Amino acid sequence: MATRMKLKLKTVFVLYFMVSLMGLIYALMQLGQRCDCAEHDMPKDRTISRLRGELHRLQEQMRKAEPTKLPQKLAVKPAQPTIYVITPTYTRFVQKAELTRLAQTFLHVPQLHWILVEDSPHKTPLVSGFLASSGLAYTHLHTPTPRDRKLQEGDPSWLKPRGAEQRNEGLRWLREDRRGQPGADTQLGVVYFADDDNTYSLQLFEEMRGTQRVSVWPVGLVGGMRYERPVVEGGKVVRFHTGWRPSRPFPLDMAGFAVSLKLVIANQDACFDGDAPMGFLESSFLQGLVTMDELEPKAENCTKVLVWHTRTEKPKMKREEALQKQGLGSDTAVERIKAR
Amino acid sequence: MPKRRDILAIVLIVLPWTLLITVWHQSAIAPLLAIRKACHHLVKEIFIIPERLAVHRHRLADDGADRGRREAGQSSDSKEYCSSDKDIVEVVRTEYVYTRPPPWSDGLPTIHIITPTYSRPVQKAELTRLANTFLHVANLHWILVEDSQRRTPLVTRMLRETGLNYTHLNVETPRNYKLRADTRDPRIPRGTMQRNLALRWLRETFNSNSSQAGIVYFADDDNTYSLELFEEMRSTRKVSVWPVAFVGGLRYESPKVNAAGKVYGWKTVFDPHRPFAIDMAGFAINLRLILFKPQAYFKLRGVKGGYQESSLLRELVTLNDLEPKASNCTKILVWHTRTEKPVLVNEGKKGFTDLNVEI
Repeated sequence: MATRMKLKLKTVFVLYFMVSLMGLIYALMQLGQRCDCAEHDMPKDRTISRLRGELHRLQEQMRKAEPTKLPQKLAVKPAQPTIYVITPTYTRFVQKAELTRLAQTFLHVPQLHWILVEDSPHKTPLVSGFLASSGLAYTHLHTPTPRDRKLQEGDPSWLKPRGAEQRNEGLRWLREDRRGQPGADTQLGVVYFADDDNTYSLQLFEEMRGTQRVSVWPVGLVGGMRYERPVVEGGKVVRFHTGWRPSRPFPLDMAGFAVSLKLVIANQDACFDGDAPMGFLESSFLQGLVTMDELEPKAENCTKVLVWHTRTEKPKMKREEALQKQGLGSDTAVERIKAR
Repeated sequence: MPKRRDILAIVLIVLPWTLLITVWHQSAIAPLLAIRKACHHLVKEIFIIPERLAVHRHRLADDGADRGRREAGQSSDSKEYCSSDKDIVEVVRTEYVYTRPPPWSDGLPTIHIITPTYSRPVQKAELTRLANTFLHVANLHWILVEDSQRRTPLVTRMLRETGLNYTHLNVETPRNYKLRADTRDPRIPRGTMQRNLALRWLRETFNSNSSQAGIVYFADDDNTYSLELFEEMRSTRKVSVWPVAFVGGLRYESPKVNAAGKVYGWKTVFDPHRPFAIDMAGFAINLRLILFKPQAYFKLRGVKGGYQESSLLRELVTLNDLEPKASNCTKILVWHTRTEKPVLVNEGKKGFTDLNVEI
């Protein structure tokens, strides 16, 4: 009896020893392949963020045409209204430079969402690559201007209103597609139309953030004057100080007003009329939205200039054109960006 | 005897399990620690310099490590763990607006930016967007030199409000020397006296023995600079060069770099045989070199069009010493944009707008 028991114990012991030895060897082999470990030992929050990333990617795939770079909020409600900046842009030599310095300004503004709309039948790689590396929250849209409304080579810049279709596309996105975004349940936001060659001070964005309906402020270097501005008396806008066609319903520049998101969504039909006569583009939009006495003056009762209507010269390329005729043009593969 | 056997048995049972547990535990923790450290590092960088982060991401993409993040001393595994989830990076970035400008870092060479400026309607706009760019760059010192008899209140106020680290100088170019409308006969190229004053200020303020590393860059107020440019120039040992867009009537002008990484010529159409056929925005000089050669200044008179940069550089360095940046001069990081002169026809003789409102 004793020997049988002893034997049993011995075998059990030996078996046990062998099993544990096998286990140890197995574990040691596992160490050699690090990658496998990752699956087992990811901490909870990394799993969550990975899943969130996948969710985000799936959402992107669902939204076929427009990949929107929107940072995921970690259960933090935005305390401030988001400023949605709609910028129409078109391909020309200085495009990347303009967008670069614009992005450098926007990077300083918290809670800003840039809606960049290209005047193009499809998204250009230059703009796509640029936006991806900009570090901003953005939406990349595109819509081509119909040929008859497009400025031709040699046309003066004031001949046809520019960017109407693109701005309307931005408005459409805000009204329709934005709902798919996280944080879109709130209508707390301000819409601003920023052209890519103007200059914006950082203070401007803080001034416009509190817009309830439509806020206005002076714009420098526009209308053939040092600045144009609304004239404020008793905290209300009574008329506009401008040298060019002051009888317009809203003799403002595109950069001189901002509209609250609520108002944009409430008035689904308000948009820019591309056929409007010169200088009436802003009025065609604002007329349906607000009356003059409802305007909210900003920038210290419209006495400070916080935005300038600068324009960039077209770079002279005569030598380039001459070279290209000889087939020796500068390398077009060098994109004028910080390439990947 | 049974005691010994018992003890032996117990030891032999316990030993493999303890080994297993300790080794397993360690292998599980180590990569976790690596993640934590790498991610933490990432997080820290995001908080302080988000744009820098984007630049780093770029650089690594260039190095072929797809979605990798090289951290000094990290194991190769942490690359896979931490980097690829871009969402973490984005979340943190947008929840926190970093301090403007970025906090001073003792390890980085200071970039001294010399900008000549003069009063005109677009001046404040140009300086505003330039300041918005510079507010992203760490360890930046802006030397703004006005072409005026006295420092104007507009510039003084603007500089103070930006919060940048700056020095405000002024020197007036004598009236008969100023660039006239017909550029066929430029007396002194615009900005020369102002840049020379800044060089003189640097030489008076810093002595050669000072250990403070610095880079000197001449930035005009209407150009456009990418943030990557400033990081490229920080590693200048003597004089570094890179391509500039929209100069010389071309899409871009660039130095010619041979396979050995040395500059041997200039890819320009306009007089490529100049000693330094490069635009003012296309090079940066190490401060030590400026201090070491105290007689080197921009030549004031008798300088042919396009030779201004050469008049300074030839006293400092030879072609062989030039360091090509921007991936061996293949990327464009600075654009020579020019701002249109605004048409102020409606101001009329008396001035329609209130002159007290600053633009």
